[in-house]
Amino acid sequence: MRIGILTGGGDVPGLNASIKAATNRAVGDGHKVVGIRRGWAGLLELDPGDPETVRTHTVALDPDVVRTIDRTGGTILHTSRTNPAKVRASDEPDFLKAGRVDDEARDHTLHVMKVLDHLGIDALIPIGGDDTLSFALRLHDEGVPVVAVPKTMDNDVHGTDYCIGFSTAVTRTVIFIHQLRTSAGSHERLAVVEVFGRYSGETSLVSAYLSGMDRAIISEVPFDVEKLATFLMDDKRKNPSRYAMTTISEGAHFVGGEMVMGGNADAYGHRKLGGIGAQTGEALKEITGEGIIYQQIGYLMRSGQPDSLDLMVAINYAVMAADLLLEGTHGRLVALRNGSYVNVPLEVVRQGVKRADVDALYDVDEYRPKIRHVDGKPMFLY
Amino acid sequence: MRLGVLTGGGDCPGLNAVIRAVVRRGIRAHGMEFVGIQDGWRGLLDDATQPLGIAETTGILPRGGTILGSSGANPYRFEDGPAKVVATLERHGLDGLVAIGGEGTLGAAARLAEEGLKVVGVPKTIDNDLGGTDVTVGFHTAVQVATDAIDRLHSTAESHDRVMLVEVMGRNAGWIAVYAGMAGGADAIMIPEQPFDLDTGCDHLRHRHASRSSFSIVVVAEGAVPKEGTLELPEPPVDENGFPRLGGVAYHLAPEIEKRTGFQTRVTILGHVQRGGSPVAFDRVLGTRFGIAAADLAAAGGWGRMVARKAQDIGDVTLAEAVAQRNLLTPELYREAEVFFG
Repeated sequence: MRIGILTGGGDVPGLNASIKAATNRAVGDGHKVVGIRRGWAGLLELDPGDPETVRTHTVALDPDVVRTIDRTGGTILHTSRTNPAKVRASDEPDFLKAGRVDDEARDHTLHVMKVLDHLGIDALIPIGGDDTLSFALRLHDEGVPVVAVPKTMDNDVHGTDYCIGFSTAVTRTVIFIHQLRTSAGSHERLAVVEVFGRYSGETSLVSAYLSGMDRAIISEVPFDVEKLATFLMDDKRKNPSRYAMTTISEGAHFVGGEMVMGGNADAYGHRKLGGIGAQTGEALKEITGEGIIYQQIGYLMRSGQPDSLDLMVAINYAVMAADLLLEGTHGRLVALRNGSYVNVPLEVVRQGVKRADVDALYDVDEYRPKIRHVDGKPMFLY
Repeated sequence: MRLGVLTGGGDCPGLNAVIRAVVRRGIRAHGMEFVGIQDGWRGLLDDATQPLGIAETTGILPRGGTILGSSGANPYRFEDGPAKVVATLERHGLDGLVAIGGEGTLGAAARLAEEGLKVVGVPKTIDNDLGGTDVTVGFHTAVQVATDAIDRLHSTAESHDRVMLVEVMGRNAGWIAVYAGMAGGADAIMIPEQPFDLDTGCDHLRHRHASRSSFSIVVVAEGAVPKEGTLELPEPPVDENGFPRLGGVAYHLAPEIEKRTGFQTRVTILGHVQRGGSPVAFDRVLGTRFGIAAADLAAAGGWGRMVARKAQDIGDVTLAEAVAQRNLLTPELYREAEVFFG
């Protein structure tokens, strides 16, 4: 069997460990593995009539090639957000441009299937978030054998309790929060720490829970900045070091307001976010007259090496995905459910983005984590 | 002798090392007593003090920030400010003052010293832009934080074939940008001292991407400015002390780089994490040695002076000189370490 492997969407720590584990498992059983570069874009931009594009868009993977890759973050295969079912003019390779009259998104799924055929790829392991995996599901619907691996540092893929990258993102955020405490305390300020998390506030919620933040604002629950100001001033008074801190998801929004969007929409209609933290900082300053520290953690949440939990999950997911394909099972998403590794139908990704369980984990009146009924919950609360 | 100790301006890692060393050295070698002044000059304007002795300085060496608190308050911006400062010092029976700070804090100290105040200074600023000393407390920790960030951002930049623009602190000087950029292998560095031409910078990036690499890391100091006439950037807003509020120049540069090169460009602003957290070993040692020197300076009546360190240049020697004799720790330096024994 020849297995293709690719990574799509934002990079997270652990992708290389997955690539290595899947390669070693498949090659160890006498199969071939082909790495596809830059996610789905690698297949879209590959012209079967042009050997040069085959060379630039694929890489043969074997135990020698992957021997040391698990020690670094990112992905050696590189990544993109391209979705071959919705290709705009700017992402369309010249050899597919025939018939294009406007910027309308076009569906090049058939081309991708032709490319897979040309490469002799029998089955695919795509690693990605809900966007990347929605195209995996499309290929599955077309009859391509696929086992998908969920990754996003937002932890927002349906069907699994855990996505590769989440633990490292939280670990980094907790470290930065504690580092910021000395500045916030020395100047007796209010600190607003903005974290990635577009539609899911789990990074904000869990980081705040683990670092003992005073408050956490999450994407799921609109907040009243006046109320937040009152809370933080109260927190500051009660703190012997006279400061207070809150986390805030980049996708958070004011009561009655919309998500603060900046930049242009990408191919999936996503906007590049960032800005609610700065706005909240300005508003808090106006309301309270206090000095404000506003800090975006941003890319530093997902850059660099994976922590141990992400290594554990990345490796196990990849081994499981390879095992499933080798035994002839496909159309599945590898997953964690209640602390156990399982596989579920890939159709779950049709449900879109998973959001934080507000009822179980958050106090909507107090704007902070409130974990109910820990007894019986899995280790990571999800 | 009774001394007040204050920390002013932005906090930085290593301040507690200075405070601890001043106090230990002062008490043990010179029989001094200390009073902690809270929140920089504000503590002398408002008479806010706290006890400061061996007990209060135990266990603070690895901690970032400052146990005394800090502020940017300047006595000369308050009515009768200098007089209030003198009055508070007299009220507490203080014979002199140790002021730990950067340009603002020590600027006020210099004026007060001219008017007769007994004060010695200790230089601190993560920006490392204070004159008279080649290195200030906090700088090396900021460089380490920025270098770690640049190291990590490589994986994201490379995975996405992007340009990652990393903005570091540095209002007037490019020290952090150049040191962290050199340490992290930056592909371009923009600093306040050398107005940049973005077109030239973008040429570097294009050349790099055409020849060997699909990503780049660019470091920009918050105070970096374009060469006149090459690029229009919006004026930064001004804060309550009349200083421009910098930070965010990268947000303006990223779209310009994207426009010129066609490479996706993303921004990471390191901000306050550069001055938070635990000091690196270098800053602990520097802070400790500055603290010892400041206590000794005060004991010797060296008012109106600042402790300083000179050691910047790379020179060269003959190989024979290098191997003729081992470089051993001097007895003087060992005696500095001994201050804290037992």
